[in-house]
Amino acid sequence: MRIRDADKEKLVIEMAIDQIVRDGFQGFSMNKLAKACSISVGTLYIYYKDKDDLIQKIGAITALKYFTSTVKNFSPEMSFEEGLWKQWENRAAFTMKYPKEVAFFEIIKHSPHSEIILDSIKEFADFRKTMTEFMENGLRNKELVPMTFEAFWSVAYGPLYTLLNLHTEGKSMGGKPFKLTKEIMKEAFSRTIKGLIP
Amino acid sequence: METNLNAIHIFKTDIKNIDPACEMRKTLDSDSNIQQWSIDCEDVDCVLRVVSDVLKPDAIIGMINDFGHECQELN
Repeated sequence: MRIRDADKEKLVIEMAIDQIVRDGFQGFSMNKLAKACSISVGTLYIYYKDKDDLIQKIGAITALKYFTSTVKNFSPEMSFEEGLWKQWENRAAFTMKYPKEVAFFEIIKHSPHSEIILDSIKEFADFRKTMTEFMENGLRNKELVPMTFEAFWSVAYGPLYTLLNLHTEGKSMGGKPFKLTKEIMKEAFSRTIKGLIP
Repeated sequence: METNLNAIHIFKTDIKNIDPACEMRKTLDSDSNIQQWSIDCEDVDCVLRVVSDVLKPDAIIGMINDFGHECQELN
């Protein structure tokens, strides 16, 4: 009689993310994963049809976790400045708490799995709707300058992701040790918002 | 609905590739006792995964052997 073992499932997800971040999709295999988790390959195949199925299922779990935490205590009704700061806080908190998941998500984003994963998450459509609504409210309330979406995105989030990359690496230019603090984040945000408001 | 874990059968095989038009595929596809099946030809064990509430592992092994392939249950 087979019973679902939640702890084992959690371990499989954790180890799969670990291995994919370390070795990439090419170097990753179901056999290696099973060994790392001290389970039989057969057990792994109970839950996943093949390597692609596993990558897509774990990708969907990770993406959902990310989108959920991004909209925590956030509302599209917030003023543009307040809402964007909440987005910065939430995205930074997630990246700092789950650096491996973020690295995994980055690998997935640039792979053919990305579309399949996003299409499989019902909540992704809600997330996109919330973020569009937030931008439209900002435009309507004249709190945001109209611009091409990609230009908007790069200005609104570019500085944050640059700082987060430095934080994840633990060093800045010239190898100087770096740790992102709320003060530094606020400093960058205060200049960013000036580039977005009319 | 979630699949009953006890209805999932996993086998190690020597099926390195599976032609879309081959007889084995047709047989597995048309068997009403099989709800779902797949082979991971990229894996070293060429793992066959069959979902069936009815068929016992031995019956599935017999079916695969009939097509000239090795098949062994993975536990």
